[in-house]
Amino acid sequence: MHIIDNISVEFQAGNIRAGNHNSPLRFTLSHLLKHWYVGVLMVFGAVANAALWISIPLNVGLAFDAVREQQNLGAAVNACLLIVIASLLRAVVQFMRNFSAQIYGQRLERDVRDELYASLLGKSMAFHDLRPVGETMARVTNDVIELSLMMHTGVNLLIGSTMFMLMPLVGSPVIHPDLALVPVAFVILQVSIQYFFIRRLYPLARQVRSSFGVMNARLEETLEGLEVIKGAAREDAEIGQVNSLIQTFRDRFIAQGEMEARYLSNLLFPLTLFAGVFHSAILFRAGEITTGDIVAYVMILLFFQFPVFMSLFTLPRIALGHAAAGRILELITARSDMDQNEGGYDAELQGDIRFEDVSFGYQGEQNSLKGLSFSVKPGQTLAIVGQTGAGKTTVTRLINRTWDTRQGRVLVDGQDVRDWSMASLRSQISIIEQDIFLFSRSLADNISFGAEDASREQIENAARMAQAHDFIMSFPDGYETVVGQRGVTLSGGQRQRVALARAFITDPPVIILDDSTSAIDSATEDLIQQAIWTASRGRTTILITHRLSQIRWADHIVVLHQGEIVAQGSHEELLVNSPDYRRIFDRYETHAAPAGASLAEDNGAW
Amino acid sequence: MVALFSGLDGDKFDRQYGDTVLFRRIVRYFSRYRWQGLVVILAFAVMAVLLAMRPVVIAMAVGELESDAGDQILQLLLGALFVSAFVEYVANWLRRRGLSRIVGRVIAQLRVDAFSSAVRLDMSFYDENNTGKVVSRITSDTQEFGDVLMVSSDIISRLLQIFILVYFMYIRSPLLTVLLLATTPVVVIAALAFRHMARKVTRQASRQLAVLNDTIQESVSGISVAKNFRKEARIYREFADVNRRSYRINVQRGLVIAMIFPALTTLGGFVTALIVYVGAQFVFDAVISASTWFLFVQAVDRFWFPFTNMASFWSQFQQGLAAVERVFALIDAENSVIQRDNRPVERLQGHIVFEDLNFGYSDDETLFRDFNLEIRPGENVALVGHTGAGKSSIARLITRYYEFQSGRILVDGVDIRSFNLQSWRSRLGIVPQSPFLFSGSIMDNLRYSQPDMDDAEIEAVARSIGGGEWLETLPRGLHSEVGERGTRLSMGQRQLVSLLRVLLQNPAIFILDEATASIDPFTELQIQEALDLILSQASSILIAHRLSTVRSADRILVFREGEIIEEGNHEALLEYSGHYAELYNTYFRHQSLGYIEEARERFEASPAGVRAH
Repeated sequence: MHIIDNISVEFQAGNIRAGNHNSPLRFTLSHLLKHWYVGVLMVFGAVANAALWISIPLNVGLAFDAVREQQNLGAAVNACLLIVIASLLRAVVQFMRNFSAQIYGQRLERDVRDELYASLLGKSMAFHDLRPVGETMARVTNDVIELSLMMHTGVNLLIGSTMFMLMPLVGSPVIHPDLALVPVAFVILQVSIQYFFIRRLYPLARQVRSSFGVMNARLEETLEGLEVIKGAAREDAEIGQVNSLIQTFRDRFIAQGEMEARYLSNLLFPLTLFAGVFHSAILFRAGEITTGDIVAYVMILLFFQFPVFMSLFTLPRIALGHAAAGRILELITARSDMDQNEGGYDAELQGDIRFEDVSFGYQGEQNSLKGLSFSVKPGQTLAIVGQTGAGKTTVTRLINRTWDTRQGRVLVDGQDVRDWSMASLRSQISIIEQDIFLFSRSLADNISFGAEDASREQIENAARMAQAHDFIMSFPDGYETVVGQRGVTLSGGQRQRVALARAFITDPPVIILDDSTSAIDSATEDLIQQAIWTASRGRTTILITHRLSQIRWADHIVVLHQGEIVAQGSHEELLVNSPDYRRIFDRYETHAAPAGASLAEDNGAW
Repeated sequence: MVALFSGLDGDKFDRQYGDTVLFRRIVRYFSRYRWQGLVVILAFAVMAVLLAMRPVVIAMAVGELESDAGDQILQLLLGALFVSAFVEYVANWLRRRGLSRIVGRVIAQLRVDAFSSAVRLDMSFYDENNTGKVVSRITSDTQEFGDVLMVSSDIISRLLQIFILVYFMYIRSPLLTVLLLATTPVVVIAALAFRHMARKVTRQASRQLAVLNDTIQESVSGISVAKNFRKEARIYREFADVNRRSYRINVQRGLVIAMIFPALTTLGGFVTALIVYVGAQFVFDAVISASTWFLFVQAVDRFWFPFTNMASFWSQFQQGLAAVERVFALIDAENSVIQRDNRPVERLQGHIVFEDLNFGYSDDETLFRDFNLEIRPGENVALVGHTGAGKSSIARLITRYYEFQSGRILVDGVDIRSFNLQSWRSRLGIVPQSPFLFSGSIMDNLRYSQPDMDDAEIEAVARSIGGGEWLETLPRGLHSEVGERGTRLSMGQRQLVSLLRVLLQNPAIFILDEATASIDPFTELQIQEALDLILSQASSILIAHRLSTVRSADRILVFREGEIIEEGNHEALLEYSGHYAELYNTYFRHQSLGYIEEARERFEASPAGVRAH
């Protein structure tokens, strides 16, 4: 078992061969080197293709001379046969080059994705907590594909077109040593032009893309907020702002067009042809070469078109791939320390939780929790209330060691959580998050996710306790209903109950429920309340909830305000001690006072 | 791909323009640039002639070399080759530059027109049409049209080149020209066949890949669940399996794609051999000169490229036209709400009267039939009822998002159809069900409808709610960024901002479509405070989802199938045990203090409370 870059990880896949993590280039190369033979085939295909191609003009030249000078048609026929054979062979090696490049790209995609995913699984929950899923997703899907594209279009065509640039340097001297002059000059000039041109074009193209993005995003936002805009009668102001973004894009688009219009290779190529014809005319006059030689030579020069045209396309592709490799590597090497403490305390958890003067802040930030002390006894229910941003979720994340405290300690069954074996601690604490994620597989599989060998009876039992059985049975496929398929979408309340069932099946001594669903109708509300009530029976339960009926009947209530406990106690105690808390319930009293008595009564003056 | 899908399912406002209408309309956008256009066309012509002539000149030069005549003509030809290189460069520069200027400006103009139209369209338009699709018309469809313009110009220039080249070839050897032309269909058919194959394979692969990508995405989203249950190994196995399948499908597709160019290469070699062979025969028989033979050899490659591209170009061209047609359809989309007059709205009492109103969302269904309702100045009414009973429709008619078929709506005795729409709406305070915030700070959002209001005034109002406590939980108070669409704020905070925005507007009529999302009790309390403040200042129409809101209304209107069947206050209606009592039991019972107080006994007594083993 090896440890990637000495980062302690929470999970290790068995057979991953990690790449070199020193730089994006080395990273890509190290993955490519694993399949070096594919690369050899690709390069061989490219070289052979260009070499065979160069034989065609040479043969055409021979045919010319055969017909012109020796008055011999047989030699021309031979030349044609050679052209046909060369073309057939070219097809083979060209295919070899293309297909190798495809395989190369796809393997790179597969291997990098594998390494990336395994490394993601190895990172701590804290790491995933902080990172938006969408962003991680973009790395695993788009960026990895970008690498593949870089190989099978970018690198493939670059190698191909480079060969086409180099072969004339070999082919021309075969005709006459002096004829190497023009191709050599062309290659030197073309490479320099290319270098400077790409360097100037690339930032322009990026500006075009980014201004398109800005324009598009603004347009979208404006149209989505149109109701507000119309309500505030601000249409003209919005049109003015979007118009200026449209103009910015236009100006950049035109600037890029003007830049491309000036591409100097468009001048270099016809000049090269001129120089070639001129040079060969001199050599011809000097009796050094034949008509057939000129024909062959001009045909060779004509093929310079290919690299001139291709390079504009291949180099940006490679640059994009390189950038993607950089982003992927950044994710792989991101540190996420949290030691596993494998030899730590391991016991059946009773559910006694105690916070002792706990302070916590995210890395590099000020404390978001300040000096919290409270405790829950086994089997009790704790409700944490407070405004969004008060730190409610963070409190729960300290219990299962998604994060470690900055000061103070969190005790579970009297043991500091840092002394617990992480595996033992986490497997006995079940967290039901605010955004519930269900896999796109059957409901039965979702419920039994944490206990793969659960019997159907156990699954149904868990679903019954979570008040999910009835709605599951109302689907035509019952427990085999696949989430997200054929229009099966579950409401927030239903998802929550499936997640509760998923937790029930492992029968954890501690359940943490981050509850933010809301039921529109009272019947559904009854079911959710019932499920939560069942969850809390016989185990320590920590609730972050907006439901007053859950708060009202919790054994202990902690009122958080900006990371501090402003009040705690039972409902009755808080009604007395906490004005904030009292106001929540006061609301019901004030509005409950009857204001009118009959259907007919006029309330207008109220 | 995106274009493909957007092309498939049309929208209601889409229309078919006749070819001439479409063409004229496109031309109108270009007519401003006619002089620049002329330069571009001239540059095109010059380029085509030069490029077509180049092989001819080279072949002639070789011919001159062989003949023993003087070098004068040869020098002339070489000089022409040299000069033409520069002329070609300049012509290309003028063409490319002019083209991107014209296309860039036309596209920008199309976007401006389309966007202005999109902003002026009714909200009813957006109820039927997805915003994303409208945006794609403004940005992507115009872009596609621009791309097609660029590509067409390229193709046209190449075709022009070929025609000129064919002319010269024909003069020199009709027979060989016909032979070369005869090979063209073979190549084109081969190219088409391969394209067809590649497309089929790609489409199949894309479909499977889409499924695989979903699975990959899912396994990324599922990481946190897997970690929660310590099931990393399991989820990795599943991922690895999908990743390998994805690889296999990609390689299969790669196989077909890798075959296309080699096949064309082979065909190209055959045709070259054919021309070399037949040319040799002709030269041998002295039918043509060696330089003519050379001309044909040079022409072989040049010939095909545009033809193999033509096939794909045609479909792209049609897609481009379809794209611009979609843009025009958006520009031409009509509003159904029509004002009869343009009266500015000054101060309002907020007296609203619906008079014998008839309204339905389509012609064959009527929601309100001879509907009458009076809301007195300053009165707060709550609308309750099941979905589709007509609550939201009342709001939509008052805001003029929808047009009614007959009857009148009078505000302070004036028909709302005679108001200037912008002026009218600026007197309304509308809070939609899902509060929308613009990216920027909370301050920016509050100021939105009142650009001239200074910071102190805004802050005073913001702090008047709950002592400004809600601002303390935000990193930079009023200056905190709300993020795209307000996503950095909680739902409750967004609602609060949305309410305060209306409060600052000081509207005469307040319309609230209450959100159903759950909110923490502290924020909820503050929302209630803000609401109470607005209700004390304006006539209000509340589409209520919360018990507390219903109770704070002066009058509750109970809707069923477009009719008001009961009205009164909460207690009275509850006592009446009619439809309201039923609605209460369905929607509001669980929000009552009684429910909260009795929750424990209710669930304690239930049988499901046994712990699983």
